[in-house]
Amino acid sequence: MSLPTKLQEIVDDFAGMSREEKIETLIGYAESLPALPERFAEERAKMEPIPECMTPVFLFGEKQDDGGVTFHFDIPPQSPTVQGLACILASGLNGSKPEEILAVPADFFAPMNLEEAISGQRLNGFRGVLAHMKQTAVNLIEK
Amino acid sequence: MPYAHPEYLVDTEWVANHLTDANVRIIESDEDPLLYPMGHIAGAVQVDWFSTLQHPVRRDFVSKEQFAEMCAKLGIANDTTVVFYGDKSNWFACYALWLFEYYGHKNVKIMNGGRAKWEQEKRPLVRETPSYARTTYSAKDADKSIRAFRDEVLAHSNAKKALVDVRSPKEYSGEMLHMPNYPQEGATRGGHIPAAVSIPWSQAVNEADATFKTTEELVAIYEGKNIKADGDVIAYCRIGERSSLTWFVLKYLLGYPNVKNYDGSWTEWGNLVDAPIEK
Repeated sequence: MSLPTKLQEIVDDFAGMSREEKIETLIGYAESLPALPERFAEERAKMEPIPECMTPVFLFGEKQDDGGVTFHFDIPPQSPTVQGLACILASGLNGSKPEEILAVPADFFAPMNLEEAISGQRLNGFRGVLAHMKQTAVNLIEK
Repeated sequence: MPYAHPEYLVDTEWVANHLTDANVRIIESDEDPLLYPMGHIAGAVQVDWFSTLQHPVRRDFVSKEQFAEMCAKLGIANDTTVVFYGDKSNWFACYALWLFEYYGHKNVKIMNGGRAKWEQEKRPLVRETPSYARTTYSAKDADKSIRAFRDEVLAHSNAKKALVDVRSPKEYSGEMLHMPNYPQEGATRGGHIPAAVSIPWSQAVNEADATFKTTEELVAIYEGKNIKADGDVIAYCRIGERSSLTWFVLKYLLGYPNVKNYDGSWTEWGNLVDAPIEK
């Protein structure tokens, strides 16, 4: 099963980068994560932040007229790694159909070799955000 | 009432005035590894709790020799004053400080408030990574008086001595086996070590600026749960990072003489065959 084209391009780009380039590129993604659009503010206020140590990740999905999904995030700037990983996923998957999103393997990022730049434990965030996006996509199919 | 060992804390102003002090090395230690490259205190070096401080193969810390090599590379001599700061209310700063003490480094300090306070005060952050001339560093043998291992924790629990579980209330009760999205930090069983009392780590810090609470407030929090200076105390969490903050508070802010951090914590205990668990 192939990845959506944009996500595949990002994976291929990272695969060829040095450790320093990976860090710089991740920072670039973190800094370009768009702020949560104002129209989600009300819904966002009703959501419970997760207590204690995890980064509170808030995620919203919208189905477009052509059936593609657009994801929006609210992640605090104190957690740039999670922001960067979420921005990679949004950049790679926004516009994809729910079925395409569900078909993304949980370990799709292995060839990016991000362990060089950020420890493997932090990559849990990647799996977590992707799982969250898949659940959102399922909800959108059912709508 | 002052802290028992105020010399273990410096404020942001002190750090701002010692940026070029050759006898001081400032270390940033964060949960999030991108914070340092995105901007850090001028002259500060980065020590990553996972990739720099952990043993590359075993579940353990770097060896004495690896620790000495790390210090030499960072330009830290045996008599350098090392000041730690970081994100998440200095969790990982305390973790790094604890490991420096484990290998016998004297003159370690925490910058009260960490990154959060420095940023709130709009103090400058830079992106340039400094480099320092290599030093000769000799690490001491590991100081096991600040680190608890599982057999000792079992004996401690059986004797009903003071044990502090600093995780969130839902982890203590066993409702939550691991933090969502941290599957590798999970355990097959939930609950807490028998005799442990629940005092979440975050109670020791002020939410507004990540500084430590006052002596009076800390005394009320810990003595209120019967964690007192006259006994042996062991603190634990999930992987030993949050509890190193509690260890720092008990040992240096309140001056308890015998405090250990059980770094095996719940990821060891909750997977250990035959270990007693209370729910």
